[in-house]
Amino acid sequence: MNKGMHPLLMIALVAAVTLCGRVLPTWTLSLATIAAANALISLGIVVLARTGNVSFGQGLFYAGGGYCVALIANAWGLTDAVAQVIIGAICGGLLGLVIGPLIARYSGIFFGMLTLALSMVFYGALVKSTALGGSDGFNVGRPTLFGMSFADPREADFMLYAVAVVTTGIAGIAATILFRSEFGLASLAVRENNLRVEYLGLSANRIISINFVIAAIFAGASGAFALMAQRHIDPQFAYWTTSGEFVFVAVLAGNQSVAAVFVASMALELVRSFSNLYLPNTWQLVLGLFLLAVILFLPRGIGSLWVRSKRGTAKPGVATEREALP
Amino acid sequence: MNAGQPLLQIDDLVVEIQSMPALRGFSMRVARGAMVSLVGRNGAGKTTLMRSIMGHLKPVRGSIAFEGADLAASPRHARAALGIGYMPEDRCLVPQLTVEENIMLPLWVTAHLDRKARLEFVYDVIGELAEFRHRKALLLSGGQQKLVALGRALAIGTKCLLLDEPFEGIAPALSERLSEVLASLRGKDLTLLMSQSDMNHSRALIDVEFTIERGANLQPA
Repeated sequence: MNKGMHPLLMIALVAAVTLCGRVLPTWTLSLATIAAANALISLGIVVLARTGNVSFGQGLFYAGGGYCVALIANAWGLTDAVAQVIIGAICGGLLGLVIGPLIARYSGIFFGMLTLALSMVFYGALVKSTALGGSDGFNVGRPTLFGMSFADPREADFMLYAVAVVTTGIAGIAATILFRSEFGLASLAVRENNLRVEYLGLSANRIISINFVIAAIFAGASGAFALMAQRHIDPQFAYWTTSGEFVFVAVLAGNQSVAAVFVASMALELVRSFSNLYLPNTWQLVLGLFLLAVILFLPRGIGSLWVRSKRGTAKPGVATEREALP
Repeated sequence: MNAGQPLLQIDDLVVEIQSMPALRGFSMRVARGAMVSLVGRNGAGKTTLMRSIMGHLKPVRGSIAFEGADLAASPRHARAALGIGYMPEDRCLVPQLTVEENIMLPLWVTAHLDRKARLEFVYDVIGELAEFRHRKALLLSGGQQKLVALGRALAIGTKCLLLDEPFEGIAPALSERLSEVLASLRGKDLTLLMSQSDMNHSRALIDVEFTIERGANLQPA
């Protein structure tokens, strides 16, 4: 799809953004950490959306990853940030492996509603389970990195920022490679014609399942970041508004560019925190207007700002790509 | 070439679409290397037969065997790997992919075929495709898309091609070209089964003709 950037250039970009964290003010650091973590899960939604299916229940894997990491951290004292991200990703992936093949047979709105339903079932179970703190959740300790603990809050914030940006950057590069690969192109074919690709020997079920597992892995890792940033977990992780927010980021970004997901996630966080600061009572209104403006003026998402100019004159019929996300 | 086992054998096939019978006991035998035409009016069951062979409709009764093996036993997406190339009536190209990617799509998932050789074979048979190989499928005309769909079926269909109304809705010049392409496949050890509503385009091509009427054979084979 986007044949723009070379992977090496992207690695350099990730490194530059990471080093940027040294000069950014502290409040931006934590904001950027959350934005990067949200971008990671939204990237998973974009990966899945390329097969024509949107998951409204990524909160399930977000919470699943987060709870697993939190439980392991409290039980065995495993606080290493990188290890926690890996555990989150594995837990999310395992959950995806169980659920993916079950719901891959459905498509469109049924797929979306089923993912939503499953995440709400999980939410209900978490609220009811007193062992996990019920609706209050529980706290975890400060994350460490390779045996170093960070007493200075600024250093701790930077560490988390660096791990989040690097992880999300790697995921972004992996997604770019995936989108250009044969498997990525075959995923697009599934979106066009869910059933009839099977005439060509492609198993739509399998392709959707694999993309679903990738999305679940990203969501699980993202849950680990949210946990480390808040040092607290509660069932809200699996609630439908949480999942909805990630779909918002994916809609804002569009499916034309991986970088757009990060820009969209950061933009959403900035708009949210500034409107929260200056208009504490009506900040949701500002957020709504922002979303409306993007949908009206950039119907193919923030990514269309630069993808269009790169391709030169707009090609006729490219409007079909708009159908990516409902 | 009628000796030995037929490539495709369909016996007493009954298929219902939402409990409306679409095929009522259709039988046919297609010999290896034959060029077979399936003629019938609109609604006679031609597309239903093709889709049943490809596994998208489950027969109520009867069997479909390919090279002696019952097709009902294999999953839908396994048919392409058996060497059956299908060209649906509505082409079904992937608009965002290039012509070459569309042709390669079935080869990506089939390990046992030499991709390069298959692609060269397709370009050899349909020379036009090589000219617009890097164009997106959505930028092609309907007739060009039809050629791409045929090319895609050719790429994966190493033994048998199922063409659903290949001459439908294309200009006379292109339809002549299509006949030429199909005629050039003779002697390449490919079996061709094509459906059509009239025989104007391909009388010279065809070895055997089956007529389907209200879901059953009009003249038993």
